[in-house]
Amino acid sequence: MAQIGTTRRRFLASTAAVGALAMTTSPRAAFAQGRVLRLRQDADNDILDPAYMTGAGEIEAQMACLPFLAEYVRDGDSLGWQPSPYVKKLEQRDPTHIDFELVDGLTWTGDNGAVTAADVKFSFERMKTGDWSGYFDALDHVEVTDDLNGTIVLNQPFAPFIMVTLCHGPGAVVCEKAVTAAGGKFTTEFPAVCGPYLYEAIPGQKVIFTLRPDWPGPKPAFDRVECNVIGETKAAELAFEAGELDCTAIGTDTLARYTKAPPDDVTITVAGELQYMWLGMNTQHPKLQDKTVRRAIQHAIDVDSIIAGAFSGTVTKSNGIICPGLIGHRDDTKYYHYDPQKARDLLAEAGVSGLELTLRTLNWQERVLAAQIIQANLAAVGIKVTVLPVDSGPFWEMGSEAAGDQWKDLEIWLMRFGTTPDPYEATQWFVSSQVGVWNWERWSDPEYDRLYKEGIAEIDDAKRRDIYLRMQDIMEETGAYVWIDHEPEVYAHTDTLIAETTPAGDQVHRRFKDA
Amino acid sequence: MLIYLVKRLGLSVAVIVAVIPVLFSLLHLIPGDPATVALGPRATPETIARYAAKMHLDEPVWRQFLIYVGNALTGDLGVDVFSDRPVTTIIGERLGFTLALVCAGMGWAVVLGIPLGCLAAVRPNSWLDRITGILSVGTIALPSFLVSIWALLIFALHLRWLPAIGAGEPGDLGDQLSHLVLPAFAIGLSWVGYLARMIRASMLEVMGENYIRSARAFGLRPRRVVYGYALRVAILPTITLIGMGFGGLISATVFAEIIFARPGIGKLIFDAVMARNFPIVQGAVLVATGLYILVVLISDILIAWFDPRVREAL
Repeated sequence: MAQIGTTRRRFLASTAAVGALAMTTSPRAAFAQGRVLRLRQDADNDILDPAYMTGAGEIEAQMACLPFLAEYVRDGDSLGWQPSPYVKKLEQRDPTHIDFELVDGLTWTGDNGAVTAADVKFSFERMKTGDWSGYFDALDHVEVTDDLNGTIVLNQPFAPFIMVTLCHGPGAVVCEKAVTAAGGKFTTEFPAVCGPYLYEAIPGQKVIFTLRPDWPGPKPAFDRVECNVIGETKAAELAFEAGELDCTAIGTDTLARYTKAPPDDVTITVAGELQYMWLGMNTQHPKLQDKTVRRAIQHAIDVDSIIAGAFSGTVTKSNGIICPGLIGHRDDTKYYHYDPQKARDLLAEAGVSGLELTLRTLNWQERVLAAQIIQANLAAVGIKVTVLPVDSGPFWEMGSEAAGDQWKDLEIWLMRFGTTPDPYEATQWFVSSQVGVWNWERWSDPEYDRLYKEGIAEIDDAKRRDIYLRMQDIMEETGAYVWIDHEPEVYAHTDTLIAETTPAGDQVHRRFKDA
Repeated sequence: MLIYLVKRLGLSVAVIVAVIPVLFSLLHLIPGDPATVALGPRATPETIARYAAKMHLDEPVWRQFLIYVGNALTGDLGVDVFSDRPVTTIIGERLGFTLALVCAGMGWAVVLGIPLGCLAAVRPNSWLDRITGILSVGTIALPSFLVSIWALLIFALHLRWLPAIGAGEPGDLGDQLSHLVLPAFAIGLSWVGYLARMIRASMLEVMGENYIRSARAFGLRPRRVVYGYALRVAILPTITLIGMGFGGLISATVFAEIIFARPGIGKLIFDAVMARNFPIVQGAVLVATGLYILVVLISDILIAWFDPRVREAL
């Protein structure tokens, strides 16, 4: 009998020992020093290499640790760019030549020497064979004039190159010597950095940026930035409210709650609204081939109700695919407004009654709510809708011809795309060559295709505006779209802080500062 | 005992062998192209093809299975398709946190649940027994994810007594323990009820045995009779329950790790499934399964060690 008690005690002691051991095995014992900024990122950084990166956290790390030639700047409601602190000069000499001059005295960590124009050439030209090559399709080559000067040569005029490519993650400059020594690519560690911060990651827990002692550039406001890895937005919101984060992205329901009853000492910053959501219709589906039916659906949906009911009024009503603040953003729709009686008339004109449709949507709370409101709107004009929530895996293949014939069954769906701060990217998914790829509405228009090419090459803002307005008119006129909203990327932070983000919602650590 | 050990080990191996194809099949039944889901909708066809090759998705399914089994047998669980880091390293970084959480959760449940069950059994139908019964059933009925959220809202958000997120500063044991309290409380609470009910039922049966009556007749102190004699026998079925409970808690940690943003195997598997990161999912699930089988095996061996009748029953 004595064995029983002894064994149990031994067992408990062993489990306690295992627990204690698990917590003490890490050799690292870093403690906060100086001013600390506590942020959140939603996942570990898997690939820091700009050519093969996967997500937002990696771009944030690049912006803290690698040089860029340009950076975003806000001017009221519109977005623009300015030369980054890493360059003395960045000028578009003509539509295909961009001259740059690096700041003298910038050095890479380790024995990797100074940042040179050759690093820029290496960084950009390797991107053409990486996963983000689309951003560098227009790049022909980079001419190196001397150590600090060079010229980016484009193979065709590409107006968004600075805004979309140089300001964004793919525009990061890496160290040729260090990357080559690392085998040509890297994943979870930078081979060398040149920025105000040094990088360290504790997988599954946090990413830590500490001030680089010999950084010659502008000193950031915070000595240390800790980005806690928190996958769920709700968990991050609770951590923020518990005082464990200084700033975090918040969801629409929390934004609505904060807007209604703002908490003490909390400020809301809208990073950008570079997302556009719409109801799409398959123009080649037998039930929707008649444009009059599609126009009826356009008139039957009350977008204001969706915004109020599904998004608590926290999103901007959409009138097209070009997001607020960008060239070509529309103020209103041209071919439809909510008018259920007109919808009924159009259905009668088309000779359609008892129409039944399946509305597919991602199985996210707001999307399903939006789908249910659309279901009610369409029921009011005599269209019976079945809402089908779909997991992200099958959802993103629904309209893809490469995934099989399921696109033939696709009728109507709720879709949201993200974009960059230039209208060209949003328009690229709807050209003729995208039918069956991302143009799930399956229409094509030669004028649209021509305007797409003209928009890329045109550098006059006024002319570009006209081009993109016309392209959205063409889209809307097909009857295949009901524009829903532009969801913002919103951050809640302490009111002693100014949160700096890119228009896409990436946190720029080095630009956070005291209010 | 040796024969029992060999038989039991053989059974554990058989379970793992049976589980591997089931896990593999389930993973491949998840809808959506894994490479497309992993890389997001905007990935280029070339990138998708490269990642598919890295995950061996370009091979026939039977060959994928053979590659997986072959690698697993040699201890090679592959590499993360994104970071190229060995899956064993990634699992190793998280396993300690999950084990610590499971041990802490079960630990406090044992420390509280067993005495509660004993007290309830010593005084059956007393007010203490009734209160213990109500509390036990109440805690059993509470899902751990709900307890996690409430605990976080009350103790971290409202009272600010304990930290809300993370696992604490590496190397700072006090900080790590404070980060362990709420998740351990959340996953262990229902086990207080389970253990109290189990011990009470076993104790009531044992307390009626002749040797207990004899011990009382010899004038031994009640405390010694209960904890020195009755509990030692009554705890045997509870050891099995605790063994099974460890396995259950490995699953329960998923919610706690997500809600409290703690690193761990559960969260690793959850994130990997959402990203269709097959090597991580396969490796982590295999390790979690192995852990479960190991704990059940240990509890079975303990029972067999204490009770010779069990050795003959296999």
